Amino acid sequence: MARGDTPMTRWLLNGQEVENPTGMTIMEAAREHGVDIPDFCYHPGLSIAGNCRICMVESNRSPKPIIACSERIADGLEIKTDSDVAVEARNSVMEFQLINHPLDCPVCDKSGECILQDHSYTHGPDRSRFVEDKNIRHTKELGPTISIWGNRCIVCTRCVRFCDEISGTGELCVVERGDRAVVDVFPGIPIDNAMAGNTVDICPVGALISEDFKFEARVWNMDRRDSVCGGCARGCNIEVETLDGYVKRLLPRENLEVNDWWMCDHGRYGWRHLYSENRLTTARTANQELEDDSATSTLADFVSRAKKVAFLIDPFLTCEELSLIHGLSSSIPDSIVGGWLPPKGTAEQFPSGFTISSAKHPNRRGAEKIFGSKVFGKDGKDLLKALDSRKVSTLIAFCGGPAEEGPGSSWSEAIRKARKRIVFSVMDGDWLKGASLVVPATAPLEKEGTWINEDGRLQRARSCWKPGDEPFCPELVRLQQVQMACEIRTRCLSAAGVFRELAENIKAFSQHSHSDLGDGGLPLSRRRARVDSKGGTR
Amino acid sequence: MRFKKICTADIGKKNCHTLAFYKKQGGYKQAAKALKKWAPDDLIEEVKASNLRGRGGAGFPTGVKWAFVPKNSKKPKYLVVNADESEPGTFKDRLIMEKNPHILLEGIIICCKAVAIEHAYIYIRGEFVFATERLQQAIDEAYKAGILGDNCLRSGIKIDVTIHRGAGAYICGEETGMLTSLEGYRGEPKLKPPFPAVEGVFGCPTVVNNVETLANLPYILEVGAKAYRSIGPEKSPGPKLFCVSGHVEKPGTFELPMGIPLRTLIDKHAGGVWKGRKLKAVIPGGTSAHVLTAAECDVAMDIDSLAAAGTMLGSAGIIVMDDSTCMVDALLNVMRFYHHESCGQCTPCREGTGWLEKIVQRIAHGEGRMEDLELIHDVCDRMLGKTICALADAAAFPAQSIVTKFSDDFVAAIENGGSPAWKKRHLSTVGGGASHG
Repeated sequence: MARGDTPMTRWLLNGQEVENPTGMTIMEAAREHGVDIPDFCYHPGLSIAGNCRICMVESNRSPKPIIACSERIADGLEIKTDSDVAVEARNSVMEFQLINHPLDCPVCDKSGECILQDHSYTHGPDRSRFVEDKNIRHTKELGPTISIWGNRCIVCTRCVRFCDEISGTGELCVVERGDRAVVDVFPGIPIDNAMAGNTVDICPVGALISEDFKFEARVWNMDRRDSVCGGCARGCNIEVETLDGYVKRLLPRENLEVNDWWMCDHGRYGWRHLYSENRLTTARTANQELEDDSATSTLADFVSRAKKVAFLIDPFLTCEELSLIHGLSSSIPDSIVGGWLPPKGTAEQFPSGFTISSAKHPNRRGAEKIFGSKVFGKDGKDLLKALDSRKVSTLIAFCGGPAEEGPGSSWSEAIRKARKRIVFSVMDGDWLKGASLVVPATAPLEKEGTWINEDGRLQRARSCWKPGDEPFCPELVRLQQVQMACEIRTRCLSAAGVFRELAENIKAFSQHSHSDLGDGGLPLSRRRARVDSKGGTR
Repeated sequence: MRFKKICTADIGKKNCHTLAFYKKQGGYKQAAKALKKWAPDDLIEEVKASNLRGRGGAGFPTGVKWAFVPKNSKKPKYLVVNADESEPGTFKDRLIMEKNPHILLEGIIICCKAVAIEHAYIYIRGEFVFATERLQQAIDEAYKAGILGDNCLRSGIKIDVTIHRGAGAYICGEETGMLTSLEGYRGEPKLKPPFPAVEGVFGCPTVVNNVETLANLPYILEVGAKAYRSIGPEKSPGPKLFCVSGHVEKPGTFELPMGIPLRTLIDKHAGGVWKGRKLKAVIPGGTSAHVLTAAECDVAMDIDSLAAAGTMLGSAGIIVMDDSTCMVDALLNVMRFYHHESCGQCTPCREGTGWLEKIVQRIAHGEGRMEDLELIHDVCDRMLGKTICALADAAAFPAQSIVTKFSDDFVAAIENGGSPAWKKRHLSTVGGGASHG
């Protein structure tokens, strides 16, 4: 039997004959048929440990129950996941897991997304037969961002395997034996690697705790939005969790094409500047603060009357925002466009293949698709020269990065040479002094739109702001309002609508739309176009 | 065939541990024969035909185990000698290594020839300092005499032997726990399959044999499989070291044919129950075995007879208890051991062993409840057969059998405020104990 070229195995799952690719584990295969076998120690990204025993099922190959995470399907294998033997085995493990567990869910950060809690609800006893004293294990810091609450640890070793296999740093280990066993670090070697935060995510209980998130929010109160990290050109898929409109935590989201199940700590904790006291949230002219609405009209006023205009773009802007800037620049004769790039950071590659890019911005590739491949190269240099020789009278600059010093000293000095300068900036700073108009800008987590990562993958980022709750008008809207004031646009569109215009105007995007990007994005390629031209059916 | 001691015949004689002495008794002749005359497959067949069964505890047929090793593997193959003798009540391998180390080395050579192995590790219990010294002396002597090394006994065959000392964990006597420990990791059993014969130490095919098992090999080659089979019961034959400890007049290690009656072993060889007291219970194969009551002790000491009696030969560590023993205290001692030694890897064992100790301790200390007896049974049921290795089973077997067969002791401890020994100790420390509680 074969599905395509894959050899298939026929086996019996709860009395039904089913078929899966040969070599699959029972757990993976059963899940394909909608039969969920519970797990603690199993994680698709890690090696099989087989130590928690919760996935035991009954088989016709062994008198004892077998573990579904490690045993593989075979022709004629008969598995029962809901027989008395399987249920009893699961219930046994649940009772054992809970006897020494403190059940301190009311004060545990994991509560609400805890696998032990979920399984306890489904498979656990409603009362304990354990009348003895519970064991006490250590609560201590394991590193600058992570601590262990040992009493909660179920010694599944997910975190230990993560450090051995994924980050390759090996800081974590299990110390002591029996029910004293608990996760620890070696003396003097804290867990301090750029992927460490993932250990907290994969901890099935609240044993590993992120110091950054500790006691910050109950997870069920937070709003979650799928988004993309803007910290580097990798574009890790993430979930942004907010409470009352404020970001509380970032979590990685599975995407095997980009980041597997992981994200780096630079991205994970790299959002604090959103709420920094130096964050720019109100618009101002050289001598007075402006209401948000009048900022837009002032801006429109500047643009409609401007001559010798230049645009300075950055690689944090979304393809949609860039498309709107493109629309504006095209409508102004002789306007020039150049881009600036933040300084290169360090790249890191981990044994699992996970990479952190040295390009600390999310959308260089997108800007190059829209404004041409030289926009950050020769065009940027030309713009710098034009500014130096005072050929630019109105400059519209964008600075979406987290740095308070803006695009850096050489650009800051050049920018001052423009007679009128309009600056969109995330952070306030000295370099903005004397600007004709300063407009608050959205930072990566606040943008609705698409970015193209370093591999050329087009992915959707979502704003952590609730619609209607924006503290100021995002560029996506403000730029459209300016276009309407300049009479080159009739109505204001959503990010998806602006993308549709982009797809019509720029060939590279013509095969895509927001809706078909799905949760995981797509490579920006012409492959689909070619298939279609041959009359393909896709 | 007439029974002859093979491991312990010369113990006590001067310099019995030396190469010179061993060679004078005909030592290494079988190794030379194996290296030069026997084909590997014939050796495996001969050992299969001898019905030699592993002496470590599980009693798996040794020749069959060897045959599982893939013949055309490109990886190196290893022999790992399990010398981590740590089953409570067992002290036979230590005797061989201290008093007759060369018989082990000869057995290693025969096994290495049969399975085409060039490197053997002896994983020895860390506490066996003297045995390690003696074994290392023997290895040094053997290298010097050309018995081990690149050209063993001028056969052109290379065999190296390395001792690796454990760090004091019972779990490292479990074969795969031993392999992870030998690899330098925390000693935790591995998931099976793959079995060690296919993927053992360092990911290579590995034979794991007990010290006493290997020590039987020279004798099998000397007398032949057929004659060996006739010693004791045919399906688990051979000379066997029995370790008798506890309440007997003459505790010690006795080399006797498999299948000797337990009563004979205790009464004749170990001098009978001490102080003229009566027999109460016997653990026949290390503490992991089910306990036998005095009435059940008319049993032959071989693998199949003991299995039929609902217990096991295990490591042949026979612990004798007289009628002054409180079985609650005995079980508490055993449970404390397994709680201490559970590696903590699998949930049922990690949590179950600790729970059992706490329940039994509560009963021994006068806070037991009648429902605890049922609870012990239930906890054991929930541990049995649900873990990676057999340590959970090893804890559950004695717990279930002692509570079942000696329930009177437990009921008495529950009803009378604790075990007699604890009451005595406790009452003396609280000065009469009238107001305690």
